[in-house]
Amino acid sequence: MTPGPSNHDPLKDALTRSLIFVSGKGGVGKTCVSQAIARALSKQPSGRGKTTKRVLWVTFEDPFRPAGELKEISPNFFELNCEAQTAFEEYTSMKIGIPTLTRILVQNSLVRYLAKAAPGIHELVLLGKVWYERTRWDHVVCDMPSTGYGLAMFQSTSNFADLFRGGPIHSDAESMLETFRDPQECSQLIVSLPEEMPLRESIDLQAFLLRLFPENTPAFIVNRRFPHPPETLQNDSSGVSDQASPLASSPIEYAERRAKLEAFNLRIWREVGLGFSELGYIPPRPNAPTEDRIPEGIVEALAEELIRKEVFTK
Amino acid sequence: MTSNLRTSQIDQALLTKKIIVTCGTGGVGKTTVSAALALRAASLGKKTVVITIDPAKRLATSLGLGDIGDLPTDLSSQLRQALIDKGLPPLPESGSLHAIMPDTRETFESFIRSLTASEAIAKRVIDNPIFQIFSREFSGSNEYMAMQRLLGLHQEGKFDLIILDTPPSRNTLALLDAPKLLARFFDERFIRWLVLPANKLVSTGMRKALGLLEKLTGAAFMTHLFEFASALFEVRVQFSANLSKITELLQHHSTSFLLVAAPSRDTAPDALHFVDSVKGHGFQFEGIVVNRRLSHLGACPERAPENAPEYINRALQVLSALQERESLAMTDLEMKLKTLSSGNPSAPICLSLPELARDVHSLSDLLEISQALERFNPA
Repeated sequence: MTPGPSNHDPLKDALTRSLIFVSGKGGVGKTCVSQAIARALSKQPSGRGKTTKRVLWVTFEDPFRPAGELKEISPNFFELNCEAQTAFEEYTSMKIGIPTLTRILVQNSLVRYLAKAAPGIHELVLLGKVWYERTRWDHVVCDMPSTGYGLAMFQSTSNFADLFRGGPIHSDAESMLETFRDPQECSQLIVSLPEEMPLRESIDLQAFLLRLFPENTPAFIVNRRFPHPPETLQNDSSGVSDQASPLASSPIEYAERRAKLEAFNLRIWREVGLGFSELGYIPPRPNAPTEDRIPEGIVEALAEELIRKEVFTK
Repeated sequence: MTSNLRTSQIDQALLTKKIIVTCGTGGVGKTTVSAALALRAASLGKKTVVITIDPAKRLATSLGLGDIGDLPTDLSSQLRQALIDKGLPPLPESGSLHAIMPDTRETFESFIRSLTASEAIAKRVIDNPIFQIFSREFSGSNEYMAMQRLLGLHQEGKFDLIILDTPPSRNTLALLDAPKLLARFFDERFIRWLVLPANKLVSTGMRKALGLLEKLTGAAFMTHLFEFASALFEVRVQFSANLSKITELLQHHSTSFLLVAAPSRDTAPDALHFVDSVKGHGFQFEGIVVNRRLSHLGACPERAPENAPEYINRALQVLSALQERESLAMTDLEMKLKTLSSGNPSAPICLSLPELARDVHSLSDLLEISQALERFNPA
């Protein structure tokens, strides 16, 4: 953990909120990290007798997972692959209230087409589902989509809220945004790798999120940090850029250069004063069985690392 | 990149194809690979352009440039200089290197304008608030516009080879599905409903459903939506014609698809899935580039030398696990590609490129990767 006053650890703060959005560029390990957070949270005491917290992990429209169903992964740790059509039907039935009328609406082919194709509605119902779920769990941890900045969902909701003026969707969208803006209820976590591009993009992502939710400062995690010497011994990363070749020629040279390179890359965050937490590179076990394309053991190991680092408020 | 250049399979592709589309998930180094391939094609004497759609401007950074715009930026003179600096043979007379980063919003607007001769209709679409937001955010629009730009460039005919670096996405094939996604808007069965006067031919059920939807969304949204739909309705015929042109171009035998991947346990299954989809669309699969390989470092020693710092041993453990995973992934991949190519005269390419120990910041760095293509993949 980056040193700082222990009561102002941004990650620790972020993990106390009921709604936790985990964002970042594609390939940085958002799915594993967000699952690890959810799993680790589900092992924390709930404050209600001897029980632990009830946690929902949400991903959006993952083609590799069953759509729209709650699935129990371990006690108090549930998964939901949020899907627009199901979410739309749930939402409309809640709004309309009368089953016959709901059926007329959701079974109408034109309406189905609009719900799918019309921009705005799609993102709105997905986020709306998450927003609704937050009151039913101790924490909802969302694995945000990575396409573009994965921000289209927030941006869309914000832009379209205006277009829906005069209907109930408008007021729901406004309340949703209100929650997302509220640092008591909701947090934004940005995950990156210690590589230049994702680190830079994370700063853009932060700026973007702050424009939408100015009061809600994101927390940062750098994932898959290669083993490296203690940072104090590593102030000299000046040699990184003048290395003649971008290629290393032996494992030891690679290990040394990678440690230096990552420390050098992380200056991108340090220079702008970003505090962050680190998660180590969990060595892959190539023969381990997989569940939903995640090798067994990775999420558990990351969750243990989080617990070891005491990022959860007692 | 010498005068006695070996014509490997990839060179063959660079010499004969007119369009190469690179696909892959985020973080695999797709942009770097695309740029390195473009460099190599230029060195082979081709007038080459690489198009990249990337909000992070990775291409510009890796080329050591501040910005690349919507129009082709000529990088030939920088390439010539880099070749001189490295003591490499000069760029052939016919070879050139260009790069484009399309402004998707601009492209989207000019696309709508290209669909209609009437400025009034174009304006109706463009000024519609739904279009305004849609053109900025719709997740398929980047992909679609990438292909729109591809079509335009191809029709201009100024380049021998166009390399299209597709936008990053979780789904490698998002690009292939983008036209269909966008086509949904133009689905005539539905648009017709929206543009019909409410009192004509609309069934009671339909009227009821639309009424309910209006209650939810508010009247203003429905008005915008009808307006958007009716404006789109005006250009639907041209849109379909355009879509067929793009499909035709992508299906042409001089266009092929290259998958860029990092070595992991998903490499082989992803590659197979990719091949199936590419073939399912009637496109040509050129092969796969496995980037970020670690095998060139050689086997990891059991232990670091005694005077080495403590972290090196932990790093070697991770590295060795990564190499083991890579080796399994490659065996799996080669086996799967072999089954694919049995009885197939044109075997798919399977290229390797090394993981880099620092970032790419100049044409000179890219040249080195372009050379690594040859070193890691002897003919």
